[in-house]
Amino acid sequence: MSLAADIASVLLNSLQTGAIYVLLAVGLSIILGTLKFVNFAHGALYLIGAYAGILIAGEMSLSNGKLQEWGMSTIGLDLGYAAALILVPILVFVIGLLMERFVARPFYDRPDTDQILVTFGLAVIVQELFRAMFGGNSQNFSQPKWASGAVNLPVVGNFPEWRLWVIGITALLVILVIGLIEYTDFGLIVRAGTLDSEMVRLLGVRLDRQYLIVFGIGAALAGVAGVVGGPLELVNPNVGTGILVPAFITVVIGGVGSTRGAIVGGLLLGFVESTLIALPSLTIGSFTLNFAPWSQVGMYAVAAVVLLVRPQGLFGKEVEA
Amino acid sequence: MSLAQTWDSIKERELFVMGAVLVVFAVFPYLLTDFFVMNMVVESLESAGMEGIAGLLDNMRGWDELASLILIWGIFAMGYDLLLGYTGLLSFGHAAFWGVGAYSAGYFSAHVSSSPILIVVVGTVVAVLTAWLLGYLSLRRGGIYFTILTLVFAQMMFYLASSPLSFITNGENGFTNMKVGELFGTYDLGSEFIVLGDFIGGWLYVFVAIIGVICVGIAYRILNSPYGLVFHAIHENEQRAEFVGLNVGRYKLMSFVISGFFAGVAGSLFAIHGSYVPLESLYWTTSGEVVIMSILGGTGSLFGPIFGAGVYLYIENVVVSLPVIGDFWHLILGVVFVITIAFFPSGVWGAITKIRSLVRRSGGDR
Repeated sequence: MSLAADIASVLLNSLQTGAIYVLLAVGLSIILGTLKFVNFAHGALYLIGAYAGILIAGEMSLSNGKLQEWGMSTIGLDLGYAAALILVPILVFVIGLLMERFVARPFYDRPDTDQILVTFGLAVIVQELFRAMFGGNSQNFSQPKWASGAVNLPVVGNFPEWRLWVIGITALLVILVIGLIEYTDFGLIVRAGTLDSEMVRLLGVRLDRQYLIVFGIGAALAGVAGVVGGPLELVNPNVGTGILVPAFITVVIGGVGSTRGAIVGGLLLGFVESTLIALPSLTIGSFTLNFAPWSQVGMYAVAAVVLLVRPQGLFGKEVEA
Repeated sequence: MSLAQTWDSIKERELFVMGAVLVVFAVFPYLLTDFFVMNMVVESLESAGMEGIAGLLDNMRGWDELASLILIWGIFAMGYDLLLGYTGLLSFGHAAFWGVGAYSAGYFSAHVSSSPILIVVVGTVVAVLTAWLLGYLSLRRGGIYFTILTLVFAQMMFYLASSPLSFITNGENGFTNMKVGELFGTYDLGSEFIVLGDFIGGWLYVFVAIIGVICVGIAYRILNSPYGLVFHAIHENEQRAEFVGLNVGRYKLMSFVISGFFAGVAGSLFAIHGSYVPLESLYWTTSGEVVIMSILGGTGSLFGPIFGAGVYLYIENVVVSLPVIGDFWHLILGVVFVITIAFFPSGVWGAITKIRSLVRRSGGDR
């Protein structure tokens, strides 16, 4: 493989790794930006998405459900994954609505710390519920058959097809969310509410409803991240807590409330992680430096540096500390 | 002076508080292992033919190891509450100080000296220095940014320990080369205590309990001094504290460092206790555990978090062995935790204090 191909595939990989962070961070960021609510249960929503995805995909695929016993696997439809991709966001959207109404709303007027604590507790509950129901073992979330192969791209060479889908789905959803917030009346009200919710209410807008929907959308994005990201790794009850920290870091790097910031932040983290994994080891005399073990540390180091140099985040507005 | 007033003035005295702590710590293992009331209940149930329930209750005896573990986590939670309950700063990164303390204690024991006292001193010093550095960096922002920064730095320590520094920390497997020597060169920590061995247990517990009493003493002194009062002032209204002329940033940092000190003491004791440092001790869920303990027990009180640590570990270790509900212990704790935050912000300890003052008022002796 040539150097160009190496670089291109690292870039594609970082795009894919970053895409999951972007999906999570955009949801987290719009909730934090508009509702001023700190949701430590965002990782739990990812977890719900991943498990619901496994269940729905397994149940609906002709390749490993009841229908296969009747000899119908040969049609090769494998609709399960597509069904999961549609049903899971709806499910998690509804969960998001319930969360807004029964968890977030009573806590809007309480300190940030209480919001963090109660959602952290909620995350523990969700995680333990899944452990109780499905056991602590890792489950394999298989990639859909229609996308489990590799595609031959120019320059890059063979690249796993599913990773391209991850990038594509993320791009589509992010464009939709940006469109919704920037170019619709709904978005206008939400943005106005962010700036001055009291004024918007005085104008006769029932902001509660908009808040409900924003929370639902944010949650649904986390659910999609679970369905899309689940097949890239093994799914176990701990993935929710594992993904939460990078998601938060992405938001904070990008700047709270900035969708653009969440995208850039996510891609930056993805780039750092993938590049450090892919870098060849460096030998100076008898000393060999491997970069791969530093991939996670590097992500956090970048986050720390960004936050210390520019505390409001890359795209955040200057606010008092 | 009425009796109640005399009692009040006595119980405010430091000597009395420390004496009470000493007594409670001394009988504490006995309560967990061989409490006579529990023995009587179990025996009478057995003689009444109810072996099933007797067996269940029998499970609740004989937890020798648990007493020292509860005290260790209690020290951690007490120090943590100094930050959360008194100064009002929510850190999600205290696993860093606990873990760094434990690892440096382990490394020191394996390579320099195996004296338990020196191990604890070294673990604590390293944890304090780490807390100073991370506190200085994290406190540049307030509110949720502070929480997230502590989380970021602590996770960075976790990933540092997990692979780049695995030649020191032994990576995923945890640090296994601990060497714990004799206390003062004579008393093996694993052996039974010279006096009242059945009662107090082994030397390990004695060691932990003495350090525990010292820690409670330090915390009590700090919190009941003008210095500790400033922490409270910052919690109540940071801006006003600033206007009064206090250097709020400096006090916050000191509060952070002091809580890191306790985390370091507890972390090194934890390493000695198990002769092992798991990698998870640096993971952010460890911070989560100490948060849960402090909140459950009651933030803003000295003994609440220790109590919370006791409840948490008792449920984790004892209730988990019970049938049916055992599998759901963590779930139950999560639910109780959420209910506590939503409805009893002062925790179990706070609720008890509130009930007590209600009873007193209705008694009319005030």
